[in-house]
Amino acid sequence: MTDAATTDHWIRRLNLVQLVLAGVLIMAPTVWMVLSSFKPSFEVTAYPPTLIFTPTLDNYVELTKTTPFLSYALNSLIVTVGSTALGLLFGIPAAFAVSWTRISWPAILTLAARMAPGTLFLLPWYVMFRQVGMIGSYTALILSHAVITLPIVIWVLLPSFDGIPRSVFEAAQVDGCSVTRILWRIALPLVASGVAVSAILAFVFSWNYFLFALVLSNGDTKTLIAAAFNFIGEGSTQWGALMAAATLIALPPLVLAALVQRWLVSGLTLGAVKG
Amino acid sequence: MASISIRNLVKRYGNFTVIPDLNLEIADHEFVVFVGPSGCGKSTLLRIIAGLEPISSGDLYIGDKRVNGVQAAQRDIAMVFQDYALYPHMKVYDNMSFALELRGVPKAEIDARVKRAAALLHIEPYLDRKPKELSGGQRQRVAMGRAIVRNPKAFLFDEPLSNLDAKLRGQVRAEIKALSQELKTTMVFVTHDQIEAMTMADRIVVLQSGTIQQYDTPETVYERPANQFVAGFIGSPAMNFFPVEWRQERAVLSQGGTAVALDGDAASRLRQAGNAVLGIRPEHFALAADADGIAINVRLVEPLGSDTLIHFDLAGVSAIARVDPSLRPKVGDRISLRPQPGKTHLFDAANGQVLR
Repeated sequence: MTDAATTDHWIRRLNLVQLVLAGVLIMAPTVWMVLSSFKPSFEVTAYPPTLIFTPTLDNYVELTKTTPFLSYALNSLIVTVGSTALGLLFGIPAAFAVSWTRISWPAILTLAARMAPGTLFLLPWYVMFRQVGMIGSYTALILSHAVITLPIVIWVLLPSFDGIPRSVFEAAQVDGCSVTRILWRIALPLVASGVAVSAILAFVFSWNYFLFALVLSNGDTKTLIAAAFNFIGEGSTQWGALMAAATLIALPPLVLAALVQRWLVSGLTLGAVKG
Repeated sequence: MASISIRNLVKRYGNFTVIPDLNLEIADHEFVVFVGPSGCGKSTLLRIIAGLEPISSGDLYIGDKRVNGVQAAQRDIAMVFQDYALYPHMKVYDNMSFALELRGVPKAEIDARVKRAAALLHIEPYLDRKPKELSGGQRQRVAMGRAIVRNPKAFLFDEPLSNLDAKLRGQVRAEIKALSQELKTTMVFVTHDQIEAMTMADRIVVLQSGTIQQYDTPETVYERPANQFVAGFIGSPAMNFFPVEWRQERAVLSQGGTAVALDGDAASRLRQAGNAVLGIRPEHFALAADADGIAINVRLVEPLGSDTLIHFDLAGVSAIARVDPSLRPKVGDRISLRPQPGKTHLFDAANGQVLR
């Protein structure tokens, strides 16, 4: 083998090692979570972890018996779908307006809001929502989760809108379109995959968000992820049930991501390449 | 159909003035071409007429209506863009019918108008295709089709041929000219290509730094350029310029003092001015007998088939003459040239304006 071929060979091996390491690092907790959910309670915390065991559905049965799991799931769905819809409703026109006017500070502001720790919002919101008697309502949860979904929609769609040649919008103007009509008839169909990607990402982030639901929900509106917290007790934690709940909670985002995996990557890079 | 009137128009971007003060009258049914080098303001002017750029000051009329603050959507003009700007998600048919649909034109009439325009432009077989399935030339035709279905007050073209190859460019150029004669609508065409300007326009606007240098018919702009800029810009290869002086009762090249045979009219203008810039187009050199011509050494030969270009150096200027191909000149040949009588141009040495 020549020197170059040897180097190439080693680089390929190194790449493989890196990929395996990264895969293990990312997937190990998920695999542990899923396996644990099928283990008898006493085996979940066994050390060293048991890899060979008799799978059982006891944790799942216990989960459905001891908690109104389906109604929590419905709560999660209402809040997630509501906040995703709200994010799209305001995020699509906002991203288009930022792209159209080239005034970027509003988008940066929403990003800054997204990057700020959730606790920053929590106290003012708690006070405000309590004042208007909305604590524990779906509306309060949906509104608060819009802080998560709105910036995602704006920032995923902005490069997509920017990627449409300006002359296409100008042609529509000359053809007789108002700006609103340009958005709905011309721009939106051209960024459809970006909208789908932003909706999925917004859904996943909102679905997984824990903090706001923990404080702003009540027994009737608690979301799955906040409800799962109940399995962690002061004296003892029901690890098996917690793992079963976590597995079920993780299922919708994982399935969604797997279904649109290819689309997700191309959608995220949509604005970077002009057609 | 409408005239376009621009009065004291000023366009600024911040502190930068693109168009300092422009007045222009385009008559109804006229085909006017804006031509000039990059950055001369021709596209900006077209976009101002379209309503895509606001005016800093001055007035713009389309027909009798002052349209300064009127949105592009309400101006009833059609525009063909340099990159065609077709709607990628719509089929060719929908691209062409979109503007009519927005105006609430009945479906049957839309269909008739789209099919008529498609027939005119030979794009009927592509009506069900998306723009990405078309070649550059076909897309260009669709862009024109989208404009002509509307019967607008005026058509605006923003360098629509610049993305086509040379052969197709010539073909589409002829088609646009034929179309303008058939449609009898006001047309404004922007190009940096002076051949497009010469072949298509009823009148040409030659622009430099946002200022009109000359506004006249192609023949006049070519034969009687208003200044040295226009003379150098229109015509290919460009006009040759030589600094000349009136010395000892004859015209001589300022550098080297070689005598130049000028006709009586040109000679008297030079006598009056003392010195000037002499402009001779490559095609206006004639072979001369050694005695009354200017001897030059052929530096480069470019045979074009129909004629031959000779490159030579004279009085510190790199010049070109267009000669008959039967002459078969060779590099290094020494030949004698003289300007054809009545075909020379004299420009003020200081400000470049033509000396009349």
